[in-house]
Amino acid sequence: MAASIREKQTAALKRMLNFNAPPLKNTTESVWKVLIYDRFGQDIISPLLSVKELRDMGITLHLLLHTDRDPIPDVPAIYFVMPTEENTDRICQDLRNQLYESYYLNFISAISRSKLEDIASAALAANAVNQVTKVFDQYLNFITLEDDMFILCNQNKEHISYHAINKPDIIDTDMEAIMDTIVDSLFCFFVTLGAVPIIRCPRGNAAEMVAVKLDKKLRENLRDARNSLFTGDTMGTGQFSFQRPLFVLADRNLDLATPLHHTWTYQALIHDVLDFHLNRVSVEESQGSEASPAGARPKKKNKKSYDLTGADKFWQKHKGSPFPEVAEAVQEELDTYRAQEDEVKRLKSIMGLEGEDDGAISMLSDNTAKLTSAVSSLPELLEKKRLIDLHTNVATAVLDHIKSRKLDVYFEYEEKLMSKSTLDKSLLDIISDPDAGTVEDKMRLFLIYYITSQQPPSEVSFHQDGCNTSQLRDYDKFHSQNGVKNLVLKQHNLPVTRILDNLMEMNPPVKYYRIIISQAIVFVVGGGNYIEYQNLVDYTKARQGKRVLYGCSELFNAAQFMKQLSQLGQK
Amino acid sequence: MAADITLLFKASVKTVKTRNKALGLIDSSIRDETGGAKRARPRDRDSFGGRAREVISNISKLKDFLLQHRKDYVNAGGVMCSDVSRMTDSERDQIDQDAQIFMRTCAEAIGQLRSDMGKQVVSAQVRDHRAAVLDLIEAYLKGVCKLYSEQRAVRVKRVVDKKRLSRLEPEQISHNKQQRDGEENNDKPVSDSNVDLWEDNRVEDDLSPEEIQMFEQENQRLVGEMNSLLDEVRHIEGKVVEISRLQEIFSEKVLQQETEIDSIHQLVVGATENVKEGNEDIREAIKNNAGFRVWILFFLVMCSFSLLFLDWYDG
Repeated sequence: MAASIREKQTAALKRMLNFNAPPLKNTTESVWKVLIYDRFGQDIISPLLSVKELRDMGITLHLLLHTDRDPIPDVPAIYFVMPTEENTDRICQDLRNQLYESYYLNFISAISRSKLEDIASAALAANAVNQVTKVFDQYLNFITLEDDMFILCNQNKEHISYHAINKPDIIDTDMEAIMDTIVDSLFCFFVTLGAVPIIRCPRGNAAEMVAVKLDKKLRENLRDARNSLFTGDTMGTGQFSFQRPLFVLADRNLDLATPLHHTWTYQALIHDVLDFHLNRVSVEESQGSEASPAGARPKKKNKKSYDLTGADKFWQKHKGSPFPEVAEAVQEELDTYRAQEDEVKRLKSIMGLEGEDDGAISMLSDNTAKLTSAVSSLPELLEKKRLIDLHTNVATAVLDHIKSRKLDVYFEYEEKLMSKSTLDKSLLDIISDPDAGTVEDKMRLFLIYYITSQQPPSEVSFHQDGCNTSQLRDYDKFHSQNGVKNLVLKQHNLPVTRILDNLMEMNPPVKYYRIIISQAIVFVVGGGNYIEYQNLVDYTKARQGKRVLYGCSELFNAAQFMKQLSQLGQK
Repeated sequence: MAADITLLFKASVKTVKTRNKALGLIDSSIRDETGGAKRARPRDRDSFGGRAREVISNISKLKDFLLQHRKDYVNAGGVMCSDVSRMTDSERDQIDQDAQIFMRTCAEAIGQLRSDMGKQVVSAQVRDHRAAVLDLIEAYLKGVCKLYSEQRAVRVKRVVDKKRLSRLEPEQISHNKQQRDGEENNDKPVSDSNVDLWEDNRVEDDLSPEEIQMFEQENQRLVGEMNSLLDEVRHIEGKVVEISRLQEIFSEKVLQQETEIDSIHQLVVGATENVKEGNEDIREAIKNNAGFRVWILFFLVMCSFSLLFLDWYDG
């Protein structure tokens, strides 16, 4: 249980890529393989393994399933796809066209018997049954973004979005389908984690439905003790009951203010302000800052995209820090880098002096050793420089946004609103300030005010800005329907964190023994964001010995959430 | 925790087969099943994949060989031990030579495969695949070469250290002399003074006991000098090996930069072309402007003349 979910999923992927055999030591003389995935598979693999790592495992080509592929006759092919109708058709087509030497089929979630028979008949028809060497159900239908954070899926996320779940005119079959998708992914998650959870959820909404279904599925699987997916060689039954994690299901509706909140920590800011998903951020860089003369062609902005991965130590250390700290830390890193660079340069000058000083030979060997060490540390230095450049660019872009939209003002004000302390400026001041933020920002502030204060303020100033009030209408609906709880926030703990805290400390009395909860998984049905994740991470740091994982059905930033709210409001 | 459903798959295949039989479809493919699998095999050996696999197996053999003899080669067991497994220097040189030849042939084989690949007409994906395969093989070869060069550097260093240690005991005299001179590589003046001493002391040709002793001392001194010379040479050899390694690294970097400099060169050439064209365009534009002005002027003059004419006509 000590391995994080990211390590577990990466290990599962690597095992799959090694033909589902445990990895051997000397795989440099490995067999060469071709990896074929669909878009789901791509989303799962891309945050975890880089192209270089794939190469090191012997994968020479990686291709999308639905592209035109040419036959490469003497290489085995590893497929990593979802068991949908069109994917199985394409696999059958590949079998018929005899594209590769042998086929290792891995399905991201469990494949149904009928589709398996389709593939079997295609294989028979193409004399390729012996070529289909292995077929596996991988149970990896979720995307891990951080060591302790996961989301359900990226493609087709409109199907399980907040909008889809909370539509007023939703039909039962649609809801069933959505619930099935969510439960399937959660089931895969628990299989990969290797633990059966204790499930806790609030009553009366989507989260409860998910909890019931998940419970049923887990029980069915455990009942069949021989084929159960949870009895591996890593788990004895003795450990079983003491290490069950707590699984807290929450619904988005119990805290609508947090997704709209303006934020101040690095990762959450990047998600809010720049284009960031699946750990890849795209930054627009404008060329030069001089004003373009009239009549000239507008300067092209080129977009650069960066991957923020687990190997980037600076990122891992500072992704939760408040933004000013990040700026300082980048400066520090830059200084250390310059110091190291200067040392390398100093060595160069020593080399230059060497000819005059034919003193002891030991000095010579010392210099050679220094030169060797400097040369071998060069790749590290270059890598460091690249990371510093990356973070400088990203931080600068974020800073530009902050300055132009005065996000710090919003943040402070919202913090005060959410903690119900006294406000020094009235809401109208900020909203009518023309250069503080976009219309969206003002809308968000207004909504938070509305949510936290429970008395509807005047809508006059509102119309002045031309904001659309559809979100407001929709929020009224919720307010009346579900009796949304406005939790009083102390210590800046968000509602989700507070729920978790209560559950973990309360230790619900069980008949035979008290279960000491050391690991918890919080899952928000309807969508989550980095602010909640950061809050949970901070909470975990404050308490020793407890590990918390955060998951959500989709990840959206405030702008996307507002769009969904407005869609709902228009109905 | 993935589930292996290969058996399930095979069972499905059987089900489908029986279903097909029941439906009366003729399954002539049963006989061809094994034949189909064999069809691809005989081509393997000459094809790209086969040759690549050969190169890999060769490199693996080299690696195994190096690792097997590594302990003997490095002789970490101490300076004075005389185990049976100890290698003589000639054997070590033999290993060095063989390894170098082997590595060279492997590198040539890779180059050969690469040029062959360039000549063949295959699809883009197959080309990418083969390029990636060759890159992987090259990386593997580089790893093995590194093993070898590390081993070699260790050996040379060890020899140098050994010589330095062994020099300490017999050579008190030469050591003192060197201390007096203050430098380790001033052997020439030392030997000269030795020769002078010897000539001065030489009285008669008989081998008297003093002379025998003297000769012995001279012998020892000469042995010491030769040893130190040898030691210097080995030292320098070690340095050269290190330098060659560094140089390899540097040349790699320089080659990388070369491609980049080439591309920059292309860009600059293109940029100068563009600037030239721009100048031309500007010149033309100025000309057109000038010509345009002339026409305007002409038109105005004509207008004024026509006005004057009309005025005159009327008046």
